[in-house]
Amino acid sequence: MAEDLNWAVGGEAGDGIDSTGKIFAQALARAGRHVFTSKDFASRIRGGYTAYKIRTSVDKVQSVVDRLDILVALTQRTIDENLDELHEGSAIIYDGERSWEAEIPDEMTAVDVPLKSLAEEAGGAIMRNIVALGAACEITGFDVEYLDEALEKRFGGKGSKIVENNKEAARAGQEYVQENYDLDHLGYNIDTTDNDYVLLNGNEAVGMGALAAGCRFYAGYPITPATSIMEYLTERIEDYGGHVVQAEDELSAINMSLGAARAGARSMTATSGAGIDLMTETFGLVATSETPLVIADVQRSGPSTGMPTKQEQGDLNMALYGGHGEVPRFVVAPTSITECFWKTVEAFNLAEKYQTPVFLVSDLAMSVTEQTFPPEAFDMDEVEIDRGKLVDEDEVDEWLDAQGHFRAHAVTEDGVSPRAIPGTTDAAHMSTGLEHDELGRRTEEEDERVHQVDKRYRKVETARNEEDWDYREFGDSDADNLVISWGSNEGALVEALDYLEADGIDVRVISVPYIFPRPDLTEEIEAADQTIVVENNATGQFADVIEHDVLTRVKRINKYTGVRFKADELADDITEKLTEEVPA
Amino acid sequence: MSSDVRFTDFKSDKQPTWCPGCGDFGTMNGMMKALANTGNDPDNTFVVAGIGCSGKIGTYMHSYALHGVHGRALPVGTGVKMARPDIEVMVAGGDGDGYSIGAGHFVHAVRRNVDMTYCVMDNRIYGLTKGQASPTSRSDFETSTTPEGPKQPPVNPLALALASGASFIAQSFSSDAMRHAEIVQEAIEHDGFGFVNIFSPCVTFNDVDTYDYFRDNLVDLQEDEDHDPNDYEAAKEVILDSDKEYQGVMYQNENSVPYHEQHGVTEDMSEIPDGAPEDAMDLVREFY
Repeated sequence: MAEDLNWAVGGEAGDGIDSTGKIFAQALARAGRHVFTSKDFASRIRGGYTAYKIRTSVDKVQSVVDRLDILVALTQRTIDENLDELHEGSAIIYDGERSWEAEIPDEMTAVDVPLKSLAEEAGGAIMRNIVALGAACEITGFDVEYLDEALEKRFGGKGSKIVENNKEAARAGQEYVQENYDLDHLGYNIDTTDNDYVLLNGNEAVGMGALAAGCRFYAGYPITPATSIMEYLTERIEDYGGHVVQAEDELSAINMSLGAARAGARSMTATSGAGIDLMTETFGLVATSETPLVIADVQRSGPSTGMPTKQEQGDLNMALYGGHGEVPRFVVAPTSITECFWKTVEAFNLAEKYQTPVFLVSDLAMSVTEQTFPPEAFDMDEVEIDRGKLVDEDEVDEWLDAQGHFRAHAVTEDGVSPRAIPGTTDAAHMSTGLEHDELGRRTEEEDERVHQVDKRYRKVETARNEEDWDYREFGDSDADNLVISWGSNEGALVEALDYLEADGIDVRVISVPYIFPRPDLTEEIEAADQTIVVENNATGQFADVIEHDVLTRVKRINKYTGVRFKADELADDITEKLTEEVPA
Repeated sequence: MSSDVRFTDFKSDKQPTWCPGCGDFGTMNGMMKALANTGNDPDNTFVVAGIGCSGKIGTYMHSYALHGVHGRALPVGTGVKMARPDIEVMVAGGDGDGYSIGAGHFVHAVRRNVDMTYCVMDNRIYGLTKGQASPTSRSDFETSTTPEGPKQPPVNPLALALASGASFIAQSFSSDAMRHAEIVQEAIEHDGFGFVNIFSPCVTFNDVDTYDYFRDNLVDLQEDEDHDPNDYEAAKEVILDSDKEYQGVMYQNENSVPYHEQHGVTEDMSEIPDGAPEDAMDLVREFY
């Protein structure tokens, strides 16, 4: 493992913590270093503890660890909240001129920088966080010129004066530490590389995937942590002839998206928590009317309002089973930020190929985490579009009944019917949430009912056979110990392998991005001595379906504190779990 | 779109299951006439309906159509129109569908001013669930769920629309076939959200708001030379007049700009490239 640096800035919400962290993360990415960020935030606009943490290395980093090396503390609480992660070599930057006296454990390096006065000298107190970033550069020996580049990117649009002031503020922080402390970079050696990395979070990757896949309509209602997908698309979708509507509620959002989808647009909505409950009303309509629709659920901690700004993977059952009656659907759950992009593209293709709702299930940790990637990870030439059985005017004839009616819900061998969008001559038809015949007209006739139900589920069977419902694999494929995971836990698990290997424990990790249909893991589980399913929920919702599939008991690691798994912690959990008795 | 479209082209071969004498027959015929008169044909028309007797209309008409969930027809219509400004969108619903479960959507569809026509078949009762009070039922109207009347004032849908910033507000009576079709036609021709509340009597469960009642009490604004639909204050006076029932166009904002035009949406959103768009790598580069 290469040398890591773990850095954080913390204070009260409204202190500019997020933008400060983002600027530093961008500076590190521009220096060719890998970055992985995490955020602690409260459900309020001002006040309340908030922090932005960065782990950086020249090697790929994809998890948080229990260690903090440099902390920019704007409040005492920032120090208190992080005491268990701070260590003897940690440095804490604070502003002693402020009206609080920082209580910093003796063994740590306290770096008192008059952030506010130095910022005011550079042009305004608002830049005190930039002064702190300059100080952080000096402490770690990181070249402040990379920070300049990040400041140019951030403030370039606001004019050169603002950029210059910020650079000056950074220099002031750097020089103050140089002149007043003799730290010798605390032994850090911040290597840089020639790589140009992109830095983005999971929600941005979902939004980018949607645009690449041809999404033209999005309707949503603001809710943490899904909103940033909507914000991303709002800024860009019009460049592609699309539009975002902020609906009056989630019921409206999903129905607007459904309307656009029926009109022929690739269409999407996204929500979280209580929002997905409201949308449930329309799940069955989407499926029964056979409308292609991507519904993203960025999970947060529930139930009810739960902990809106905290991590959880608690909606899997909702995605699998939500809605009255029996609703055929696909459930896809990206396992990394790049997968947020690729699985979104795939979700649009699946939706149109099989004319079903596709649930794209992400989670808070992934949605707010920024990570560095080589730009080729999002190679747009690899994007393929499959619109399924979309018929044009020449093909309509094949699908007319004897009276000339378009059979929009034709019972076919593969379960997929032809799809005609408005404007297609002679294909006018209705669709409904009522049970219907091939023409879309209401029926309660027993045989018709069975034909249509079978037809809709046959699409799932067709997809099961025709698509790759694969998994990703890490670690030692011959290991006796098998760990299965879904969603954003993959990164922490992959890094946990290093810790386990150091302790002589071989583990095979299977990370599953498809919840329904999902890969059959019977062989893999039977080949292993022990199987552990890791997830961020209390009851083990994925472990339940695995047990159901394989008819065997598995061990479970469940974390439902609201905080994502950390690599080192997860390694300890796995070690401990392996010694436990197998459940009866 | 062809010029020889007849209104019967919008009729499906499914026989309506509405009660004999139901106002919805006339309501639907007028809607079909208005669509044909405005040069639309079934292939470029999308009809959205909700739940209830009114919701069945999509089955009896012939066009592209979606019969959705209760109260959510307006959002579906909004999505269709945004994706396809080239398609004529008509939304049909009832007084329960539109002013009770869908009231929130109504307010917001009105203020968004999406270019579609909203026909509410108002019979002042819940028919399909067999006779319960609706949001437009009179406060003393005795029903199975309100044996002493709802004891709350009815929703005034026209006033709700006016207060929400509507650009077109009209009312018609399904039995006055020619006027009803004319009024719906004006709503279709309006650039923006064309709202028509249609008195569509329920002959089975409502013995108060009957054909005879409307025939005897209806005042046609067309016959009132003083009424100028562009005059907001005049519209307000008519809409808030609880002593009379009116038909005609109460209010029309001639400067109305439909939502999609305000937002610069002109393209057919169903057209997308075969792969990612050519400049898609720019989407990645912005994260440098």
